[in-house]
Amino acid sequence: MKTICPAIIALLVVLPHLGISSCDAPADSSRIAVAGGSITEILYFIGAQDRIVAVDTTSTFPKAARKLPSVGYVRALSTEGLLSLRPTLVIGEDDMGPPEVLKQLDLAGVPVIKIPETHTSDGILQKIRCLAKILRMSRQADALITEKLAQMVAELKQVRSDAASSPVAVVILDAHSGSLMSAGNATSGHGFLEMTGAENMFAGFSGWKPVSSEVILNSNPDFVVFSLLSSESDHPPPISLHGSSTDKRVIAMDATAILGFGPRTIEAALEVARTFHAKDAIAPDYRE
Amino acid sequence: MRWLICILFSCAVFFAGAAGLLVGAVDLSLVRILTDSDAELERMILTEIRFPRVLLAGSAGAALAVAGAALQGLFRNPLAEPSLIGVSSGAALGAISIIVLGPSLAIPAVLEPYALPLAAVAGASLVTMFLYGFSIRYGQFGIVTILLVGIAVNALAAVGIGIFQYLSDDAALRTLTFWMMGSFGRATWETLLPALMLMIAGVVPIFYLVRSLDVLQLGESEAFHLGIDVNRVKRSVIICSAGAVGAGVALAGIVGFIGLVVPHLVRLLLGASHVYVIPASALLGATLTILADLGARVIFAPAELPVSLITSALGAPFFLWLIARSRPR
Repeated sequence: MKTICPAIIALLVVLPHLGISSCDAPADSSRIAVAGGSITEILYFIGAQDRIVAVDTTSTFPKAARKLPSVGYVRALSTEGLLSLRPTLVIGEDDMGPPEVLKQLDLAGVPVIKIPETHTSDGILQKIRCLAKILRMSRQADALITEKLAQMVAELKQVRSDAASSPVAVVILDAHSGSLMSAGNATSGHGFLEMTGAENMFAGFSGWKPVSSEVILNSNPDFVVFSLLSSESDHPPPISLHGSSTDKRVIAMDATAILGFGPRTIEAALEVARTFHAKDAIAPDYRE
Repeated sequence: MRWLICILFSCAVFFAGAAGLLVGAVDLSLVRILTDSDAELERMILTEIRFPRVLLAGSAGAALAVAGAALQGLFRNPLAEPSLIGVSSGAALGAISIIVLGPSLAIPAVLEPYALPLAAVAGASLVTMFLYGFSIRYGQFGIVTILLVGIAVNALAAVGIGIFQYLSDDAALRTLTFWMMGSFGRATWETLLPALMLMIAGVVPIFYLVRSLDVLQLGESEAFHLGIDVNRVKRSVIICSAGAVGAGVALAGIVGFIGLVVPHLVRLLLGASHVYVIPASALLGATLTILADLGARVIFAPAELPVSLITSALGAPFFLWLIARSRPR
């Protein structure tokens, strides 16, 4: 029953959209076009990179993936561009599109598989197992999960259950452009905070919304997690809780690592969780 | 001479269309498609992907150019362009309201393909009527005034679009961003046909108004005394051009500057009479837009450029040149 319920929910969520969502292996998965950074990351993780013939622009990790032909942004794919690479299979994340393109791919007889996304560490493992099943590589993938990820997932759970209290944190995206896009409910940022055992200060709204730095300073979260694009990792975070950019409570992380929900997200969550739940982590309120 | 140029334009549409059909990310061989029964995929790419796409690019380009030419005639102002004076933004606002609110409006499935184009047309009509009402109330628009009003209208539409962007979730937001930059890649037969009907319904009546538009250039009271039902002409031009622009915007997003560049090029070649300007604009608009879309598909293949980046990159310098030309040195 426990496994059936999420499955039914996933079906209900995914059915109205085009593109089948299942982990059944299609007849031919020798040439894969990928739309979604985490899927590219996972295909490299399980060693299926030789089958990738095209990626989208969100596939920035690992670096080698950037050399593959790009078919554009995950939500603005081009049918002909995809077809010109003669893929036998298109795998994408939930949000791949536009729907017209998926429909045209379907007409062209290229199976399109959407991989459902849940923002938990189990969700990541499920995603890996699902992709492995599609590629008939379950054995290799299970071995890799045991070898590389299982330990971290267990440790993450341990850190969470050892924690005396859960700190309040925010995840901020796109800090570079001046507006602080903050993760509300039902976002990857929210899922990441849950993985680390922190409470999302902005769980009250859903989606990513711009929030002024004043609001963040005034509600004084215990931590601010900045998701930086790799190109701007040299820049200091644009906000600090004590007027100092070396503040330990402001954590800068690679956006694709913490919000991509691929294998790296587990590692990043563990790293951040350790900081969150370190003994002296929660500083006294500076306003007092 | 004029007819020769018009024939040349017709040939240009034909060749642009043929190029649009035969060139693309996938190599197609016409011989193989016609003779080889195994060429199922190629045939499908031709009939289901490229054909609706070229048709949409051509018809939207023609509609934008005709609407631009007609609005320029109506406002007696050479810079009245659908995207500059805010008609396209109005259409975009209408369309975006459906993209964001559509799922919660419970539109009957039969009407669904029509909801987006109709909302876009409504938005475009609203803006055009507002512009016209404004111009009646505050007198004739000079070139500068109409651009300033256009800035204001665009800003107002941007507020509305911004509100919808704020309301929409992450996924809809990213869809909107790309939708605003224009693409003909979403053309499928089901979505194309309703929009195509609207565009034809918008463009064809303008062809019957060419004489009246010519007379209108003398001034409204002069046109009235020459026996033109001025108000009827105005109404028809506003509604028809809004319909044509709205339908195009609904499917392709905002494609900039076609409505400005094309009528001007035509006037340089053929003179100012709408008898020639309107049909020639339709032909040249279709040609240029098909070619711009071809560029959008091929330049970064297998990825695609938003088509408005190409039309605007070519159109904006042309716009500057027009301004420079109209100033005495």
